[in-house]
Amino acid sequence: MHANRLPGRPTFTDQDPTAATPSVLAALARGAGFFGFWLLLARPGTDTPSTPDLAADLVVGLLAAAAAAWVSLRLLPPARKRLHVGALARFAVHFVWQSMVAGVDVARRAFDPRLPLNPGYLAYPVRLAPGTGRAAFGAVTSLMPGTLPVGTGADDALVYHCLDLDQPVAAGLARDEALLARVRGGGGGCR
Amino acid sequence: MSLALDLFTIVAVTLGAIFFLAGTVGLLRFPDTLTRLHALTKADNLGLGLVVLGLLPQATAPFGWIGLIAVWLLALLSGATVGQLLAEAVRPPEWDQARTPDASPVGHPNAPEASSHD
Repeated sequence: MHANRLPGRPTFTDQDPTAATPSVLAALARGAGFFGFWLLLARPGTDTPSTPDLAADLVVGLLAAAAAAWVSLRLLPPARKRLHVGALARFAVHFVWQSMVAGVDVARRAFDPRLPLNPGYLAYPVRLAPGTGRAAFGAVTSLMPGTLPVGTGADDALVYHCLDLDQPVAAGLARDEALLARVRGGGGGCR
Repeated sequence: MSLALDLFTIVAVTLGAIFFLAGTVGLLRFPDTLTRLHALTKADNLGLGLVVLGLLPQATAPFGWIGLIAVWLLALLSGATVGQLLAEAVRPPEWDQARTPDASPVGHPNAPEASSHD
């Protein structure tokens, strides 16, 4: 019946080559990424020119990359989120600038003989869904001027400890949140 | 050119050291654990960033740069994460009586009713 098929050419009718599970692809991609990062940091072969040493280095690097990929898949399962590069660049500029403001602000307070502090708590009704987005928001805002998240309070609000409640803390948090939501493809709004 | 880069390194690393000093002064002078965490996370983030920035001209491109920037990013990530974990561990019992400020920022739809009128 299929007499015109070339001999020795396997067919893939029962096995779609594109049907590899996404988690395997994600594991390979992450492992390759971690290994590449390890190569950049460790630069094997620059100090140890001998081949056995280089081989031993590479084995260690491969094992470390595999372990890192496994842990990262456990902690952060692959998701179909696309990051927006332009929004990420805007966010990075904002983050660097606010880091400087935060450092100068806290240094000024620490060196001031009168120690000007007005600490207190503020509940911020965060709109980013729990998960990666909210974790990123918590991490970023812990480095922003005068804010430090201490947990999730009533009504799913993030509770912040603030160095100075007289500062416009909530407005700053809202701006951080809007910028972060755009990086994660939230468009103009959140969620 | 090389002199200018060396001067840049000296200025940036010195500034970075001043911010590390500020973080330590804050650690000693601020009144409680949470305010001390503010001092450490913010001042050290900026201090380390300035030290890394100052060392970039002295490192070999591109691998030395990547290594320095990776150190900064990893320290940033661990500082931000550990800071939150410590804050959660030491928060006092009254932490969740925090109020949403009456002047709600940019119209949050789910903001609770303002308590200014009753």
